[in-house]
Amino acid sequence: MIPLLILTPLILLAALGAVWKARPVHAALLLALTLALNAILYLVLSADFIGLIQFMVYVGAVAVLIVFSLLITRPGDEAEEIARRPRSLVTGLACSLPVLAVMLFIVSRFENAGQAVADARSVSIEQLGTTLFTTHAPAVMAVGVLLTAVMIGAALFAREPGKKTQTPSDS
Amino acid sequence: MSLLAVQFAPFPQITREALPLLPKTLVEWLLAGFGAPEWLVLIAGFLVAAATVVGVFAGGFALLSLVERKTLARAQNRIGPNRAGWFGILQPVADGIKMLTKEDIVPAKAEKLLHLLAPIMIVVPSILALGVIPYGREWIPVPLELGLLFFFAVGAMTEVSIFMAGWASGSKFPMLGAMRAISQMVSYELPLMICALGVVMVSGTLSLPDIVDKQGGFHLGFIPAWNLFTPWGLVAGLLFYVCSIAEANRCPFDLPEGESEIVAGHMTEYSGFKYALFFMGEYLGLFAISGLGITLFLGGWQAPLPGLDFVPSWIWFFAKLCAVIFSFLWIRATFPRVRIDQLMRFAWLCMIPMALLTLPAAAIWHFTGRGFLSWVVTVPLLLIPWVIITVIYNKRLAPTLRTYHFAE
Repeated sequence: MIPLLILTPLILLAALGAVWKARPVHAALLLALTLALNAILYLVLSADFIGLIQFMVYVGAVAVLIVFSLLITRPGDEAEEIARRPRSLVTGLACSLPVLAVMLFIVSRFENAGQAVADARSVSIEQLGTTLFTTHAPAVMAVGVLLTAVMIGAALFAREPGKKTQTPSDS
Repeated sequence: MSLLAVQFAPFPQITREALPLLPKTLVEWLLAGFGAPEWLVLIAGFLVAAATVVGVFAGGFALLSLVERKTLARAQNRIGPNRAGWFGILQPVADGIKMLTKEDIVPAKAEKLLHLLAPIMIVVPSILALGVIPYGREWIPVPLELGLLFFFAVGAMTEVSIFMAGWASGSKFPMLGAMRAISQMVSYELPLMICALGVVMVSGTLSLPDIVDKQGGFHLGFIPAWNLFTPWGLVAGLLFYVCSIAEANRCPFDLPEGESEIVAGHMTEYSGFKYALFFMGEYLGLFAISGLGITLFLGGWQAPLPGLDFVPSWIWFFAKLCAVIFSFLWIRATFPRVRIDQLMRFAWLCMIPMALLTLPAAAIWHFTGRGFLSWVVTVPLLLIPWVIITVIYNKRLAPTLRTYHFAE
């Protein structure tokens, strides 16, 4: 309980900072921090596998991707960003409140959720893999197809139109 | 007198295998003797075990900085550092004192907090990664069930900290260096992980001590049963080796800090001890990735020949580590730096296809009984695509000669 009490305010603060910071790089780094703290939350809940995967994928790949795309784009005007805030706030609330409502609804339907968490034994990696590739095999395959499609799409976008092979001297 | 009343248990027997654990045992024995509570003994034991690993590799870092300069000097027909102490043995001490006493300069345009955090955040993941590697039969600092995953997860932090260093410095060369470093590390992390995946498939575990255990024994009585001595393991091991050079940002893949191009990349605006921290992070990362390679492919602490088990296992591990590190130094002294387009092209067109091929090869190896039949099936499976990729790459896709628009 104590780690949760320390972690949750930190996560909330980092997430608020990620939304509130006017500089995109600061926001991105705070987002990375939020995701990393979430990973630690999973570790505290003794979901080791999902915690480490969260760290690897979200901090190592997603956050780096965001940061990298910030590097190659032009920084926006900060004052303009701050002036846009009231409108952004309305849009943001309109988007996030329904999500929050759905989540609260789902959570409220759990009976004895705390007891269920306390009863859950630590799942070994073998059990996890077996479940994933037997019971949930169609879902895994669907995700695989989706990711392959995304990769092909990215390759198509990256390819300049009307050019067969790139020569380094032009790029 | 309370001190007279302390009850010391007899000191536990220390075998040669457990020699690196001596500090931990000693502290635990002392604390227990003074009647400390159990949780204190436990925490102190963990702290001392961690300090042992950090101490060993910090010493290794100091030694390597000298050995690297000496080796490069020998390769380039120079003498190298020879003024501080016998054969320059005190050079790391002199460097350390110099680094500590230097002025710590923070550029006016820098983001102070991020600029300060970056060098710290680069050392931490390397140390964390060193914690899960099994150094000997009994010297396993943290025997995690998900050790390999943990290694890659903390490794992911390095990229963020390099970005922080490059961006927070607020000038151009660090930014360019950080961009190069991130694109290079993201590209080479992919084949690195795929190569490690083959080992996981065949061993059936993510725990590094278990992976080492699975590589015990000998074929035909003298060939060690390491993963390197299988067709897929040879390919994956070589790819892993190349990727680890790129991951450690070492020559010939040292573009992020190419001295002749962008001063020192993301470290340009750092001085004094922060600069030393960057170097320390880099060398500790080199130790960690070499240690992982040894664990996955070179049998970890297993002896290379039967009958050599009388030598403690951790000595074998460090002997292999020295050999691998020396090969890195040799490569640095031999090869020129590649260009950024060559680097990326090589990663995406050669490394990743070959790394992906090791996965089916490893699966076939596992399901055909790891015998003669497996060799017959997997060798062509790997050899033919390798030849095809090499031919296509050299004929069609290799970077053409670059014409320099500004140098004519």
